[in-house]
Amino acid sequence: MNFNPVRALATATLMALLGAGCHTVNTTETAQPVFQRNLVSEKRVITDASLARKVQILGVNVSDGPGGFLKVQAEVQNTTGRYQRFAYKWEWFDKDGNLIEGPAAVSIIRQVEGKESLFINGVAPNPAARDFRLKLYENAR
Amino acid sequence: MNRPLVSTVLVVATAALLGGCASSQATYVDPASTRTLSNVGEINVQDWNMAAESMINSLIAKHINSGSVKGSGPDGRAVLAISRIVNNTSIQIDTDMLVKKIRVALLGTGKVVVDITAGLGGPEDPLAAEAKREQQLLGTQKVSGRPDYTLSGKIIENRTRQGNQRESTYVFQMALATRDGLAVWEDEKTITKQGKRAPVSW
Repeated sequence: MNFNPVRALATATLMALLGAGCHTVNTTETAQPVFQRNLVSEKRVITDASLARKVQILGVNVSDGPGGFLKVQAEVQNTTGRYQRFAYKWEWFDKDGNLIEGPAAVSIIRQVEGKESLFINGVAPNPAARDFRLKLYENAR
Repeated sequence: MNRPLVSTVLVVATAALLGGCASSQATYVDPASTRTLSNVGEINVQDWNMAAESMINSLIAKHINSGSVKGSGPDGRAVLAISRIVNNTSIQIDTDMLVKKIRVALLGTGKVVVDITAGLGGPEDPLAAEAKREQQLLGTQKVSGRPDYTLSGKIIENRTRQGNQRESTYVFQMALATRDGLAVWEDEKTITKQGKRAPVSW
């Protein structure tokens, strides 16, 4: 095959341009963690198909403190090689399924680098909260 | 002169003038969403929301959920008073944008009540303060004198610029202290925003 310097330069430039937007994160952890997560159904996580392709929920675990407040932790991962921005919001429900409103029920913006995973934490506003829902939004400013 | 050309110019000019007179219609947005406006040089609704959410979650998770919160208030609830919240930014802000949200959330936990008769700049509710003083003097009802906890804080600002790119960082610091003056909870939330400087308009 003949070497074409113009084609080679164009390919190198394209690769450099594509790579410039990507900052991926490498993560390492112990093979057998000492903790045991109480993983729950991901039915409680609401997201749209477009965002779900980019930011994926790896797991959701729930714990209860001595004060009786539910604590939820969701691990999300950016499956793409590009920086992503998204927003999330927790909704809390009592044992009868009624929404518990409060000043902490707001959308929070997070950024995640390419291939990075991070944890989103939510704490129930009061001990009466027995269930939750996590909403994920795309196109957060 | 070409008559159709003159007519077209007149129609376009009239449309442009009318367009300029039309007032922009306001649209309601959910203040808890990410649709509110934000800029680099100010603490916006979203920033207050994020700072308050972070402080509320931290306070509940690290202190209230430990089950150690007990106090002299009704049903053994802890009595909280708001101390000084220092504004160390270059902008004028009302710290109640943060503190009120925290107070509302803490009251909602069912573990804390807020004393609105105690405050550095005088009581928040003078009538409630007077009623409390009367009850203390008459001894008709058991009234707690001192709050079990005090909440204090500081808001700090840092600005930087690189070319036409601007960055503002707002640091929200809060501490909860007992009657002994010991801080039993402290946290910090940092919010950083970047934006381009607007071009000079004449």
